[in-house]
Amino acid sequence: MDLEGCPPGMGSELILILVVVAGFSFDFTNGFHDTANAMATSIATGALKPKVAVVLSACLNFVGAFLSISVAATIAKGIVNPEVLTGGDGLVLVLAALIGAMTWNLITWYFTIPSSSSHALIGGVIGATIVATASSEVNWHNLVQTVIVPAVLSPFIAGGVAALGTYCAYRLIRRLGQREARTGYRYGQIFSASLVSLAHGTNDAQKTMGVISLALIAHGDISATSFSVPFWVKFGCALSIALGTASGGWRIINTMGNRITNVESPQGFAAESSSAAVILASSYYGYPLSTTQVVSGGVLGAGLGKKVDSVHWNVIGQMLTAWIFTMPGAGLLGGAAWAIADIFGAHANAGAIVICALAAAGAFGLWTLAQRNKVTANDLDRTNVSPVEEAELAGVPSAVAAA
Amino acid sequence: MAILASSFINWSALWKIVLAALIGGAGVVIVFGFLLYGVKIANNAKSGAGEWGGYALAGVCGLLCVGAVVAGIVAMTDKPKSKPAKPAKSSLVVPSRTWS
Repeated sequence: MDLEGCPPGMGSELILILVVVAGFSFDFTNGFHDTANAMATSIATGALKPKVAVVLSACLNFVGAFLSISVAATIAKGIVNPEVLTGGDGLVLVLAALIGAMTWNLITWYFTIPSSSSHALIGGVIGATIVATASSEVNWHNLVQTVIVPAVLSPFIAGGVAALGTYCAYRLIRRLGQREARTGYRYGQIFSASLVSLAHGTNDAQKTMGVISLALIAHGDISATSFSVPFWVKFGCALSIALGTASGGWRIINTMGNRITNVESPQGFAAESSSAAVILASSYYGYPLSTTQVVSGGVLGAGLGKKVDSVHWNVIGQMLTAWIFTMPGAGLLGGAAWAIADIFGAHANAGAIVICALAAAGAFGLWTLAQRNKVTANDLDRTNVSPVEEAELAGVPSAVAAA
Repeated sequence: MAILASSFINWSALWKIVLAALIGGAGVVIVFGFLLYGVKIANNAKSGAGEWGGYALAGVCGLLCVGAVVAGIVAMTDKPKSKPAKPAKSSLVVPSRTWS
């Protein structure tokens, strides 16, 4: 790939349209992949009906996308030479990156594993860049500093805080009585989960806004020097992530809410509050991290805070494996997408159309396979479980639970 | 090892995040628990003073929880742009690539 010979503005209208569609599609997958982050514990404890939870989360994601645009265009900033993304081949490279990230999201969704959409997007960008430029345009030091290190630390911080919160909550429950505590914490969960939804919209929708804006810069539609995200991009991304969230990623909600540990309302509240605090604080202090990993850490910590044995370590093992492979996996897919497009020539419409068609076929195949062991909203509905029954399910004797 | 870690980890931001997480995470869970406890005291009180005391505890805790939510929303709308950690002067600095 010859960056010198490819000035901005060379990409075709068709490729730009494909990038925008791929961007909105990625946001849609991001939405249903990450609904679990905010709402899984509220659904698992019966604080909210599954469909009510995802619609509430969708509305808050939509609002969150408009709250701040300070993180827009920061995806892969400092990791990949921006000239690669805004240069003449930038459109196809961004398209390949989005396809890689989206496909990885769908693969992990099929295997019911919560994994980071942000890391998938960064992986997709890096993979496509490596194949296009033989890695010379990737800053590995900044990758470790701004992505890998926060990815390792954040689940421990959220988990530790959630464990402490859960431990304290159960100490208080001894004074409160099971019924009052569980009912009260169910109400609290609605607020803490709503805050996570809002934060998710603020962070994740804007990453795609940044990617689409980069494509518009590459196409010459907006200026790189006086950068601002067009309103239709903001609206499209907000709507896509909201629709994705509302569609309900029941498979991952099931994993996050039921398979990591048997979440009870005090644990759910502790997990979501801790996650919201970590996400907002790190975002405020400029420490980028993955919402999925923070919430997973929070749920794990909430399990440990009550009883170490209650955590299903085999599920944690699967999640950790997926996290380790997210960036390399999305990178491989992004790199492969670029390589296929490059067969037809970096500026050719045919290459872009072919990789989009392959991605659509792959998505349809995974969706078809997922129908065989489908998880529905009705499978997850716990609103008919009373606080006393919840306690009994968790192993607390009914006499104590009713106290 | 510690010197190398300091070039990768922004310790200044990290301790603030941990502190904010402790206050906003574990702190809110505890305060919310006392809110519920206050309501329980008020409901079970046999005297007017006990009832008011319970509601006062619940009210103060409720205000603290609302304050935490407001702080979270302010943090969302007022967040600065992400920036990489600045390595300590004395640390082993891994050369950062600059784009030409």
